[in-house]
Amino acid sequence: MLVDQELIEKARARDYAAFNQLVLAYRKRILGTISRLIGRPEDVEDVAQEVFVRLYYSLDQLRAAEVFEPWLYRLTVNASYDYLRRARRRSESRMADLSEQQVMMADSLAGSRRQEEEQQKSKTREFVDALFRHVSEEDRILLTLKEVEGLSLKELEQIYGVNENALKVRLFRARHRVLKAYNGAMADGKL
Amino acid sequence: MKETMNGDNDGLGELFQIYANACPDVEPSANFMPRLWQKIEARHSFGSVFERLARPGMAAAAALCLLLVVLNLVAPPRNPAVQTYTDALMADHSAERTYYTEAIRAVPGVGEAPAEFRPR
Repeated sequence: MLVDQELIEKARARDYAAFNQLVLAYRKRILGTISRLIGRPEDVEDVAQEVFVRLYYSLDQLRAAEVFEPWLYRLTVNASYDYLRRARRRSESRMADLSEQQVMMADSLAGSRRQEEEQQKSKTREFVDALFRHVSEEDRILLTLKEVEGLSLKELEQIYGVNENALKVRLFRARHRVLKAYNGAMADGKL
Repeated sequence: MKETMNGDNDGLGELFQIYANACPDVEPSANFMPRLWQKIEARHSFGSVFERLARPGMAAAAALCLLLVVLNLVAPPRNPAVQTYTDALMADHSAERTYYTEAIRAVPGVGEAPAEFRPR
């Protein structure tokens, strides 16, 4: 835990300063997670703020301070999923912005070694994002939390509120689909 | 990157690791906290407005319910002859029997009319 339980208890009791400290402690981690879950840097901060607004209004429902982190992750997953659902609806209008952004990024990346590294990273992100398109948004989020964020099955169990075996089955299926797409891409020489 | 991704399960795990490192760290902007508190306040004031509107609405609904109950108790019954539900049912049933009796009398037997209706 990044903060002590006393601070969480104070925030639950509507102590503004304690809540402020809580946000300051967790915001970077939450921003990172959301960035990997939604893949749109320009909207990451908005989604993170939505997570903390929801946290503010639901802190009194938290059973115990020990389960604060899984609770916060659950809020993060739900807010990211809500965002992705909304984004899916307006995806057509956003495609033009995205391609323009990619063109600008490609223009700016030229020459130096650092820029080459950036290009390589960007290529990896695009490749993995393409692999994730072979699974549903729910499975992509689950797989990202497990494989990229490095959360344990126990933690996922607390976040999703389902038993470990159900999670294992779902993760296995999602991973299998991604692996199939990965093998296909490797066979085609896309990487 | 190609040599680390050999297509088996471990390769995929490694790819995810590279992906995690390739995702840039997102730094919060200077406006993060002020905007967050603005959003919290905005939602709070929306909640208060809703609460302020809902309270008189609920009071009006309760008053209307009470008025309807009082009117129901005070108002005289519509048909003084029909006092109870069973009375109403009997009255309804007798009307039904009369209707069917008449209908049966009106319909002759199969192939012939009743004697009193035969032409002489």
